[in-house]
Amino acid sequence: MTPDDSALAQPADQSPQPDKTAVPPAAPRQLGRVNGRGLWTLYRKEVQRFLNVFTQTVMAPVVTTLLFLAIFTLALGREGMGGSVSYAQFLAPGLVVMAIVQNAFANTASSMVISKIQGNIVDVLMPPLAAWELVLGFLAGGVTRGLLVGSAVILAMTFFVELPFADPLAILFYALNASIALSLLGLLAGIWSEKFDHLAAVTNFVIMPLSFLSGTFYSLDRLPESWQNVALFNPFFYMIDGLRYGVIGQADASLTVGAIYLVALNVALFAVIHRLVLRGWHLKA
Amino acid sequence: MQRLAVRRFGRVNWRGLAALYQRGVQRYLTQWVESLIGPLASALLFLVIFVLARGEGDADIWPGIDTPSFVGAGLVMVAASYTAFETLAMNLLYEKIEGVIKDLLAAPLSALEILVAWLAAALTNGLITAAAVMLVMQPFVDWSFAQPLKLLVFAVLGLLLFALVGLLAGLWARTWDHYALAETLFILPLTFLSGVFYLGRDLPAFGQDLLAGNPIFYAYDGFRSGLLGRADSDPLVGAAYLLGLLALLAALAWSLLARGWRLKD
Repeated sequence: MTPDDSALAQPADQSPQPDKTAVPPAAPRQLGRVNGRGLWTLYRKEVQRFLNVFTQTVMAPVVTTLLFLAIFTLALGREGMGGSVSYAQFLAPGLVVMAIVQNAFANTASSMVISKIQGNIVDVLMPPLAAWELVLGFLAGGVTRGLLVGSAVILAMTFFVELPFADPLAILFYALNASIALSLLGLLAGIWSEKFDHLAAVTNFVIMPLSFLSGTFYSLDRLPESWQNVALFNPFFYMIDGLRYGVIGQADASLTVGAIYLVALNVALFAVIHRLVLRGWHLKA
Repeated sequence: MQRLAVRRFGRVNWRGLAALYQRGVQRYLTQWVESLIGPLASALLFLVIFVLARGEGDADIWPGIDTPSFVGAGLVMVAASYTAFETLAMNLLYEKIEGVIKDLLAAPLSALEILVAWLAAALTNGLITAAAVMLVMQPFVDWSFAQPLKLLVFAVLGLLLFALVGLLAGLWARTWDHYALAETLFILPLTFLSGVFYLGRDLPAFGQDLLAGNPIFYAYDGFRSGLLGRADSDPLVGAAYLLGLLALLAALAWSLLARGWRLKD
């Protein structure tokens, strides 16, 4: 029995006498169309959560990504990528996307699973936050981590590789869309998972392979023809290809197709997750 | 009333030692999704990248030995090293944070018995990971298993080294952030920069010197030459270097355990 229950169970005649000096009960807080304060609080909680363990959530991915750059440039960089692009220049933007993707996903997914397992998910479900505000709060936290790690990585890389930054706007667009897509996927995986094992399975078998095999390390024409067609349906491929265009000014596939595909995917994911949260799927069981 | 007699054991508490060993291995096996499948999947992913990124005209690493076979052999040891490190570092820190380390400290086990049981468990788990990774890599690689004995000797030496480092890291760490620090700034660079992906000849002179001083390079290279039949270093130098380092680290770990450093504060 919780303390609240025991208070309710007290016989009426034992209840304290009404106190005349008591302040009148607080009026319910008036919210406008958007509970801005609640949304801001949720966002701050999400950001604080990963900043508290900065070593694991920001520093580790940056170090790992730089190591990848060193290793793969040494192992695979003996010949260039054709034209004036060196292998390191080709690789660097792909690794940035890899870091963004893995961290945006990890943030929302782990936050959700930990809250569910520890039971403090009720603290997020109880406040007067609409389903879309809830999704948006988590999403913004994941995007913040994705962009923070991504910026740190790309900044560190400029010390080792000459990056022309051909189209900064494209860099921003693809980094943002990659963060949004993976934060939403992370939220979906987190809501679905009942324990850490489930999440580990999704990370190991879906997110890791897709982020590693979607063109970070090699150009599309290295793949067998049948796989090239499969790659053209892979959203991760467009994230990598688009951001790479922004950095080195060369792309493998159509940028327009990629941009439309990613935005459509993000809208669809948001709609699906909003519905699931609204129904309380795997949250209010 | 009959009183319980004090249990008698000889010079070595074999039963306690076996129980501690068994717990170390059991933990790894019950959490196989995280402890085994994770490293397996990432080792395979790295290998597939090298299979795919390799162009038609790319030269072999050594005559007759292609890149996937070379890199795959190193990746086996990377995955196994992680297992050996994690078995001790993670479990020790977990027990310290949860406070259950008391159960171990109160048991009639000497520091040496604890050390031996832990190292044996980490070694066993590492060898299981190595065997599993070698099995799943079979379709992509061409290994001749030229020197099985050399393969085993260097696998054991390398894994013991990581087990000892894991033990020291687990003793030192007080929070999970400390653990992440040790893993990111120490284990990750040491595993990845120890010649798994390239030969000494591909490095600038400064890098070659660093590689020659890196004990893990000798362990990985020795293991790999057991599979491929060709080495990048002298096995005798490597074995002597590793044995010396192991003796030093084991002595350090033993004395820290005996003093209860960061265990009994």
